[in-house]
Amino acid sequence: MKRTITAALLLLLCAGFALAQEESKGTADEKIAEVKGAVDGINEQMAAMQSTLDALAKIKFTGYLQEQFQVADSDAAPSFAGGNFASGVHSRFLLRRGRMKLTYDNVLTQYVLQIDVAQTGLAIKDAYITVKEPWMKAFSLTTGVFDRPFGFEISYSSSSREAPERTRMYQTLFPGERDMGAKIEYATESGPLNFLNFKGGLFNGTRENIVENDNFKDFIGRLGATLPFSEQNFEIDGGISVYSGQVNVGKGNRIYKQSGKAYSIDSTTTLTLGKYFDRTYMGADVQLYYDLPIIGGMSLRGEVITGEQPGSNNANWQTANTFYNAAGNMYRRNFMGYYINYVQNVGDKNQFVLKYDEFDPNTDIASTDALNNGSNFTPGDIKFTTLGLGWIYHWDGNVKFTLYYDMVSNEKVPSTVTAASLKPYAVDLKDNVMTLRVQYKF
Amino acid sequence: MKRTIIMLLGLLAMVAFAGEKETITVKGSDTMVILAQRWAEKYMEAHPDVTIQVTGGGSGVGLSALINGATDIANSSRPIKGSEREKLKQRFNSLGVEVKTAKDGLSVYLNDACPVRELSHAQLKGSYTGQITNWKALGGPDAKIITYGRENSSGTYVYFRDFVLGGQDFAASVQTLPGTAAVVNAVAKDKLGIGYGGAAYAKGIRMAAVKKDNNSKAYEPNAQTVKDDTYPITRYLYMYLRSRPTGAMKAYIDWILSSEGQDLVTKVGYFPIK
Repeated sequence: MKRTITAALLLLLCAGFALAQEESKGTADEKIAEVKGAVDGINEQMAAMQSTLDALAKIKFTGYLQEQFQVADSDAAPSFAGGNFASGVHSRFLLRRGRMKLTYDNVLTQYVLQIDVAQTGLAIKDAYITVKEPWMKAFSLTTGVFDRPFGFEISYSSSSREAPERTRMYQTLFPGERDMGAKIEYATESGPLNFLNFKGGLFNGTRENIVENDNFKDFIGRLGATLPFSEQNFEIDGGISVYSGQVNVGKGNRIYKQSGKAYSIDSTTTLTLGKYFDRTYMGADVQLYYDLPIIGGMSLRGEVITGEQPGSNNANWQTANTFYNAAGNMYRRNFMGYYINYVQNVGDKNQFVLKYDEFDPNTDIASTDALNNGSNFTPGDIKFTTLGLGWIYHWDGNVKFTLYYDMVSNEKVPSTVTAASLKPYAVDLKDNVMTLRVQYKF
Repeated sequence: MKRTIIMLLGLLAMVAFAGEKETITVKGSDTMVILAQRWAEKYMEAHPDVTIQVTGGGSGVGLSALINGATDIANSSRPIKGSEREKLKQRFNSLGVEVKTAKDGLSVYLNDACPVRELSHAQLKGSYTGQITNWKALGGPDAKIITYGRENSSGTYVYFRDFVLGGQDFAASVQTLPGTAAVVNAVAKDKLGIGYGGAAYAKGIRMAAVKKDNNSKAYEPNAQTVKDDTYPITRYLYMYLRSRPTGAMKAYIDWILSSEGQDLVTKVGYFPIK
């Protein structure tokens, strides 16, 4: 009997244990299914989030702000370092640039809109669309408002440039740097021609924010090459550029052209009405980069531009609209300018800059010709040189401080000159400018 | 007075430099992060005066940090792009210094249960661009191919896109995962999965033999095939510096390229450069 009871109890125990195991297994399976369901749910959510993130990653929002304090040698100093000083003013705080750039980059297509918010107001700087061909990915088409593809200094961003401003030569020949048009660009990172690059296209020739006034389109282009010698930490880049444009004289203005040592009327009012006159530049640029052991990287950049420029009698640049809409006369001058720029990095934080530029707006005439009767020599013919010295301190990846001193020298006219507009140029103008700038870039 | 000032300045300089620990920051490639950590640990054991901080984030992130001055060394599993070099030139007037530290056979991961043994360049390209969607086209079962890949900040992503896909974009169906370990993990659990990444991560999965085209012989990534470049997707693992290294940085780079540093490359699962 006892044995029977023990056997029955053992049987019950085994049955109970088996049942418990069965239940436990069932619970574990349910739990696994539950967790798997939750993981699948998270995966679905992640996939949805990923597609949203991928779309957002194509949008880039960048910008920079440049604020500066400047002191000039004299009140109302004429200046290319951020514009002329106001009457009675020789020091100023200035919000020089406030850029905001939106880029939507879809690998083979790109949308870019950049605006500038400064004390002068709001302005569109860039507004363009780029489409790259999908086969070689070497050629692209850009249309809209963008930098004119000439030389080096235009495309070198103001946020990266070591000197606070572009040279007098560039500010005179390419005010605003941009124009409305369409360009083709060739650049590739592989293949036997990867050292070559080209950009060129047709433009209105009126600047970025002025509507076209004629049917002639200006051609602007640059053929460049990059020759790296990586083992030696040395690279030489360079290019040649051309600007072939014309200006329409819509109001029948008089055209003056240098003839010998004086200007002479090139044609009569009747003959010039609606005619086109040349705006032609040729340029060459070279950039050398070398990493100096222990000290840091250095660059030596130079550029020269020569050509024919239509201007007014007092300035060697006017918008195409000046001649088209106004009755001012046109002065056709042969010009020449160049600059040399040396930058030395010292460690990761410091940079020293030395820059020299010269711009002769009229190579056919010298300041001594101001005394010649009939030469019509004006301030628009005076040659300027600028020697700039600067120190840049990079506070961090976003902020940099620049201390820069521009020493500007003008060609001096004879002291016996009688024209009131030329009398100030009998001596060197007091127009040196010291700039202390802080920039935030993101 | 003058003597006092000079003494004070000297004292200040001594305080400033006495016992100063040299710190080197390394950032970038996730493919290289384990290797970089091993290098750093081993080097710091022998050089307690040097601190080496290693973080990942992807090759693109590392190179951005190098350009922004946020890291001393950028690890990258792909060559630097022309646009990145341009930024270095603009900020530092330097082309950057490229150091080849190791070789890697960019591996194609398959699940252990997958019957496919070898794949051609064209088959890989087709699978990842969405032109081939069924394993049957690759000699496998009649089932959908599940492709796993990396985020676009990854150098492995860029290298695979440029050299395997010929610059074409990945199909939208490729599942993006954060890190090579995650890709390996996903393929290990998915019988229909295929992934790519560094050879050192290939644990718990099988690596496919890869051939250039249908007429070529297929090779698996191993010391010999990667060394002599017969494995078709062989790449270098790079370190990029802003300018020529000096002092502690130079000593560290020299050590990485020494036999001791290169031994660690093999131990981690990559291949030495010599």
